[in-house]
Amino acid sequence: MVLAGLGELTAEITGVIDIGIEGIMLSGALAAFLASFASGHGMIGLLAGILSGIVMAGIFAVTCIGMGADQIVVGTAINLLALGATGSFWMLFQNWTQSHNLVIHLARNEAFNRIPIPWLSQIGFAGPALFDQYGLVYFTIVLCGMVGWALNRTRLGLVIRGLGDSPETCAAAGIPVKLSRTLATLFAGGCAGAAGAYLSIMQTHSFAQNMTDGIGFVVLSLVIFGRWTVWGLISGCVLFGAINSLQQTLQTARYTSHSTVLHAMRHLPFEIFQMLPYLAALIALAIFAGSRPGPKYLGKNWQADS
Amino acid sequence: MFLLEIIFTVGGCALAAGAVLILLALMGFPPGHILELWYRGAVADRYALADTLTKACPLLLTGLAAAITFRAGVFNIGAQGQLLVGAAMAVAMSTRLLSPHTPPLPGITMCLFAGAGAGAAWGLLASLLELWRKVPVVLSTILLNFTALYAVKILLHSYLQAHGTSAPQSSQIPPHFCLPVMMKYTSLHIGVLIAAAVAMVAEFVQVMTVFGFQTTAIGLNEAASRLVGIPVAARQIQAMLIGAGCAGLAGAIQILGVAHFMTAKIGNYGYAGIAVALLGRLDPMGVAVAALFFGALDAGAQRAEESSIGLPHETSNIIKAVIILAMLIIGAWSMRRTLRSGLWQQRNTETGDGA
Repeated sequence: MVLAGLGELTAEITGVIDIGIEGIMLSGALAAFLASFASGHGMIGLLAGILSGIVMAGIFAVTCIGMGADQIVVGTAINLLALGATGSFWMLFQNWTQSHNLVIHLARNEAFNRIPIPWLSQIGFAGPALFDQYGLVYFTIVLCGMVGWALNRTRLGLVIRGLGDSPETCAAAGIPVKLSRTLATLFAGGCAGAAGAYLSIMQTHSFAQNMTDGIGFVVLSLVIFGRWTVWGLISGCVLFGAINSLQQTLQTARYTSHSTVLHAMRHLPFEIFQMLPYLAALIALAIFAGSRPGPKYLGKNWQADS
Repeated sequence: MFLLEIIFTVGGCALAAGAVLILLALMGFPPGHILELWYRGAVADRYALADTLTKACPLLLTGLAAAITFRAGVFNIGAQGQLLVGAAMAVAMSTRLLSPHTPPLPGITMCLFAGAGAGAAWGLLASLLELWRKVPVVLSTILLNFTALYAVKILLHSYLQAHGTSAPQSSQIPPHFCLPVMMKYTSLHIGVLIAAAVAMVAEFVQVMTVFGFQTTAIGLNEAASRLVGIPVAARQIQAMLIGAGCAGLAGAIQILGVAHFMTAKIGNYGYAGIAVALLGRLDPMGVAVAALFFGALDAGAQRAEESSIGLPHETSNIIKAVIILAMLIIGAWSMRRTLRSGLWQQRNTETGDGA
């Protein structure tokens, strides 16, 4: 999720809002699963996920940045496209495997394994959670640091922020606005594709229809919640992750624990807990959305002749 | 220009369907056979036509929900949530709140109004969040979709749950509260007429009234509308109320007319409605045509899935999605052309050639 948010963050800072991130993640998840199923290598799956993310973002870039279509409308269309396309391909794939008597199964050793970092992973309580993770997680942490550093400390970062706040100035300074925005969008697509790949080949070792289930939209709200900064985004994601695992723990703990509070929760329908993450995102938005305006030209297309 | 647009739209649809058929042919499904099944399922006889109309009905209403709000510059992606809430409200009215001895006509009317009202209230929530807390409607409506889904599931597990079952489903709607069927052996119910009437009223409002003019102006240029004194915020909230009400009505009609009981899996009409609205160029009559087309696609896809070749019905979703993309590209392209010709006219007027 941090990964998808990171890409979206970069794109939004340049003034491009890609509602289609949910669909991109979904397509990345399916592409990664199919590719690693066919090839037997997790790495190829990951690359396929990233590639499909870039292709989907490419569609978005061509229609919005190139042809000036409305970003929100195109993003919505991409979501519908991804939902329909992944759903049918998955059905066809299942039919095909059934007729050929194949088992849909990613062998454990072929999908990514967790990579424990020696020594650190054995430190008490936080050790396993932080240092016994998939390679992509470490990569994301490094990428976060890099993007955060680049945005705030380098000339490139200055340009990227300028693209979202005042594209005219950038154009006057000789920066190709559309090209830069396209690159940022493609970067976002690649990140979202990789995030989708993480869902399918690492976290669940499988694919399910509409498996992203709104995560992309939650990511969009977290970018706003984090006020378009990398640290804000990360803290938002960590908070959200905490709420999510809290709700999962609560769902089971209320049947096993002897605490009276948890015991009382036994009568609550479990859907309340599933609702929590979305409700939390909504409340977070309600509290923080108005407090600081985002990039001035967010969601607005820019044409050279206007 | 208008005729050209229609030709482009129809051509784009045909191209998109053709592209998907070629893709399916490559995957080993005979395209001729698929087309035949599609034809038989959607338009071949009066039963197929009735099926198409029934399937188009909720799409028309959710399409209007998106079109009316999009037109006013409110990106209401929340038709799905509003539809769910509306459906749940209609179920609550018909199975719990109303006395079973209520006569059919006032009973059904109250159910439909309650559904539309609940949908409108759910939409109003997003509008107020934007007004008070500057939460973008695009995001809040989506998050409210998920919230509505789980809220409805909770209701189906508790208050609305049918007696004597543990499944999350409501009791059957009492038969006299179900929408009357207009044709024997089909589920063609009078809700279709209601939806058509709503579309006509929407078209009238858009073309003939000040409200319609003002909302269209806001969608085209919000800043300019504010400058000439149009109450932008009020108009946008009103558009949201009407649009969300349509979505709620869609849910109520779907429950009272087709399903006759409720589960949380009511169908993705809310999301499909956005596609219908885009294809219909945000114009109520265009939305009606687009809804009929999508209804026919769905009816045909159902026939193809039930047949021996077992084509998954999601293929109709792919066709829809490809059509939307084609529409967007064509739309963006024709908009640029209009802009250019506008510029060209402007230049001519400046030099005194006249436009």
